[in-house]
Amino acid sequence: MTAASYPLQSHRKLLLLILFLAVLIVLLLSAVSTGKAHPSTRPQNYLTPVAAKFSRDGTKLYVVCEDDDSLLVVDIRMQRVVAKVEVGHKPKDVAVSPDGKTLYVSNEWNDNVSVVDAATFQVQRSLSTGWGPVGVTTDRSGKILYVANSIGNDVSIIDLASGAELKRLAALRSPHCVQLSRDGRRVYVSNLLPYLTSADEAPVSELTVIDTQRQTVAERVLIPGVLELRHIAEAPPAQGGFLLIPFMRPKNLNPLIQVSNGWILTHGVAVIRPAKASQGASEVTELLLDNLDDYYAGANGAAFTPDGRYALITHSEAATLSVIDVAKLQQRLHAIPAADLPNRLDTARAIVLRRLPTQSNPMDVVIAPDGRSAYVVNRLDDSLTSVDIPAFQVRARFDLGGPGEITTLRHGEQLFHDAKFCFQGQFACSTCHPDNHIDGVAWNLETPQLGRDRVANRTLRGISETAPYKWNGHNPDLETQCGPRIAKFLFHSEGFNAAQLADLVAFIKSIPLPPNRHLSADGQLSPAQERGKNIFYQKGCQTCHPATTHYTAKVSSDVGTASKYDTAGFFDIPQLDRIYEKPPYLHNGEARSLEEIWTLYNPADKHGVTSDMSKEQLNDLVEFLKTL
Amino acid sequence: MKSAQQYRWLLGFAGFLFVAAAALAQTPALYTKWENFTPANGMPDAKVFTVAVDGNRVWAGTENGLVLIENSKVAKVFTTADGLANRVVTGIAIDKNTGDIWLSTFGGVSRLSGGKFQNYSSMTTGLANDIVYAVAIQGDLVWAATTAGISRLNTRTGEWSIVSERTAPMHEPWSYGIAVAGEKVYFAVWGGGVLEYDVKGDYWKPYNDPDGEMELVLFKNQGLIHDIVSNISYNNDTHMFWASTYFGMSGYDGHNWFNYLSTDSGLASDFINATQTRGDDVWACTDKGLSYLNFKTNTWVTYRPNKDSGKGEIVITGPDKKQSRLETPTSLAHNYILNLAFQGDDIWVATAAGLSHGIHEFHQSHKEGKSHEQARAGR
Repeated sequence: MTAASYPLQSHRKLLLLILFLAVLIVLLLSAVSTGKAHPSTRPQNYLTPVAAKFSRDGTKLYVVCEDDDSLLVVDIRMQRVVAKVEVGHKPKDVAVSPDGKTLYVSNEWNDNVSVVDAATFQVQRSLSTGWGPVGVTTDRSGKILYVANSIGNDVSIIDLASGAELKRLAALRSPHCVQLSRDGRRVYVSNLLPYLTSADEAPVSELTVIDTQRQTVAERVLIPGVLELRHIAEAPPAQGGFLLIPFMRPKNLNPLIQVSNGWILTHGVAVIRPAKASQGASEVTELLLDNLDDYYAGANGAAFTPDGRYALITHSEAATLSVIDVAKLQQRLHAIPAADLPNRLDTARAIVLRRLPTQSNPMDVVIAPDGRSAYVVNRLDDSLTSVDIPAFQVRARFDLGGPGEITTLRHGEQLFHDAKFCFQGQFACSTCHPDNHIDGVAWNLETPQLGRDRVANRTLRGISETAPYKWNGHNPDLETQCGPRIAKFLFHSEGFNAAQLADLVAFIKSIPLPPNRHLSADGQLSPAQERGKNIFYQKGCQTCHPATTHYTAKVSSDVGTASKYDTAGFFDIPQLDRIYEKPPYLHNGEARSLEEIWTLYNPADKHGVTSDMSKEQLNDLVEFLKTL
Repeated sequence: MKSAQQYRWLLGFAGFLFVAAAALAQTPALYTKWENFTPANGMPDAKVFTVAVDGNRVWAGTENGLVLIENSKVAKVFTTADGLANRVVTGIAIDKNTGDIWLSTFGGVSRLSGGKFQNYSSMTTGLANDIVYAVAIQGDLVWAATTAGISRLNTRTGEWSIVSERTAPMHEPWSYGIAVAGEKVYFAVWGGGVLEYDVKGDYWKPYNDPDGEMELVLFKNQGLIHDIVSNISYNNDTHMFWASTYFGMSGYDGHNWFNYLSTDSGLASDFINATQTRGDDVWACTDKGLSYLNFKTNTWVTYRPNKDSGKGEIVITGPDKKQSRLETPTSLAHNYILNLAFQGDDIWVATAAGLSHGIHEFHQSHKEGKSHEQARAGR
């Protein structure tokens, strides 16, 4: 070392140190920019908030957390969680009594509602409902509770004094959210799934309208061309008193491989002007909230500011909150013929004032009674996004106190609900598999010709051990199903990378089956179910549907169900677990009921020799199948 | 003295009033004013199979659709274009709990709810057959009488079950009528008599013609009058069922049978399509007019149109078989009667040539300011 070289060496060391620090900073920044370190496989108890309601005085926010089986109480002034109430399994919604003293939390997997004292935050009692209670509201008097039953496809009307269920009114399919009208005269019920129509027809959804005085269905408002109706917001009377209901509008008979042309799955809101007289019909218009080349998938939550000047819509698969200028929405409704509006992709430019970022999977949105703040419930981030309403700016992320650490499963679930992997953000996995289930329609996925090779959507619940996948049985595992295939044929994008794919598959494999409502608590079969079981085995159904492997032999078979629209006749034998939750049936969704599989679509007895069966026997067989 | 005379006079007058009232009480309600609904004033078809009342609304099932009548006008006609399962509507049941209207048709069962139809056929559901003659509601259960047995839908679970010769003591599956009686249900089985089912106990009890004779009635009050039962109704006041057959009418109170033939009563004809009953009133819908029986007084009244004059004819037959006749300016649309429904003190009658509304104008209970419901409540 020379005297002259020392400074140079010293400089080199300094340079090396700087370089080292720079690399370290880059790595750190990289880690921050990618969100988190690689997800942990250690199980975590996430909160998974799905719905929220303000207390009557606006000082508290009640947040329903479906994975935590809890109701959190957030003090708005202190901006912290002040209480936690343990409720039933898979809570989905909360209603606040008119006097603010009682809370009602629907427990989807317990088939009941927890009644919570809003002063002590103790569960006082539980009320039995129909199957799969989700949306819940009281009437104006606070004496009657309305509960949408997602599995029973009906609405329970409960007398809160006695706790007795007075009646159940038929909804459509998978009733979802309920909303008491501002005048208290009606309860609106959105249905997630559409009518079971011919596979050649566009889907039609329904808003079920209940007359609260008579407690009968006053109207079934048909909403054509759409499905997955979500939250319901009612404008103040001064703004016309119309309803906004987010939806998904599919072009399911168009080849899905045309997604790169745009316009295959669009997202928007139904604008419904309720009928004035009891005999009149409500008016329905549909507006899209997508941009021409930038879609906002998963339209979900909806709320009006108290003055009705603005409406807020969450996009659960685009992590976005749209702010709609209601005056401009009204202008749009007058300016464009109603028949054209459902397909106009230039509407958002005219009516959306702002797009605000949220955290992962925003669901519900609620506005404080003073109209100065909105809170978005971020389902897969265990947080709320607080929004300054006058400024329409995100104020802060409010952490509800979840684990923080992101596990493999959680990351996979976030990917499942993220539309950014699809061309122009048109859809996420969850768009067509709401609640990890089905959207109730058949799709032309990969065949270029219009309407050919339609396949019914299949549930993801309990599919871990049911490989191969896809109706043609070509995908031996979920990695194949969800990897390059989806990227090439469906998303038209680079798709998921290897690490993301592993997490996504891990999540899909973890999706559980819901409880079976057709089995008695002790698992004993009814006489009809027992007779049906005998028929199942006498007819040899177990050959293709063995009980040991979720009632699928895991191979393809030709049971004579191919139609003129099908290229091939062999189809994957579907698993039969919770079969009653999955209509329509058969590969192309042509059978609208289990009965139709044999009454209409088994003319050559290739799907079991069933032509010799009496109707009594077929009824028994159906009753047994529902127990699987 | 003068006062005592006055008392005697008053007592005498009161006695007269009592006798007069008693005499009037023997005279049943008479329907002297009729309003008819035919294709001329909006009905889609002349043939009306069935009628049901839901408050101010009157529903009629015709050979060509379902009709809603409000404020004495045809308010709406529902056809297959509106989603109705079939144009022939044979039966109507109103679910008082949910407000839904259930219909039996010749193409399955339809449910009208919130202005929309939901259809249930033997192809799409567990319904036994698409030819359905009657439908009834029992809590969450919907019963449907079909040509291939009786179907039951549990609206809460979606379970369909079938009552037929395979599963119940009925040698014929062809069923025509259903009457709900609390936990029990009575079925009118064509050629199979009356079948009783206890829902709670899950047991059956058949009622058949004891003489088994198709042409004659050998033992008049010893059982059901005939096995070809066309319809059945249940009286919630007297807890009796009334079965209509094509060979007379039978009532049963759980112990005794009360059978009626046209030859020994005021019944217009032995060919009876349906019965309806409440309080002491029993109505028989025959092929020769509408007959009424006051079960308590054994007084009969038959209504039918006079083919020659076009006016109405009322024949009153007393317990002593003496008959008196009245003529009314208006009449039933036709003498072939298929069914009937009550609306307060009025009646609605389904006939082969229109729907007739019998408007109640005079009745002893009315003079006393009582409606039929009030009279029943005070029973």
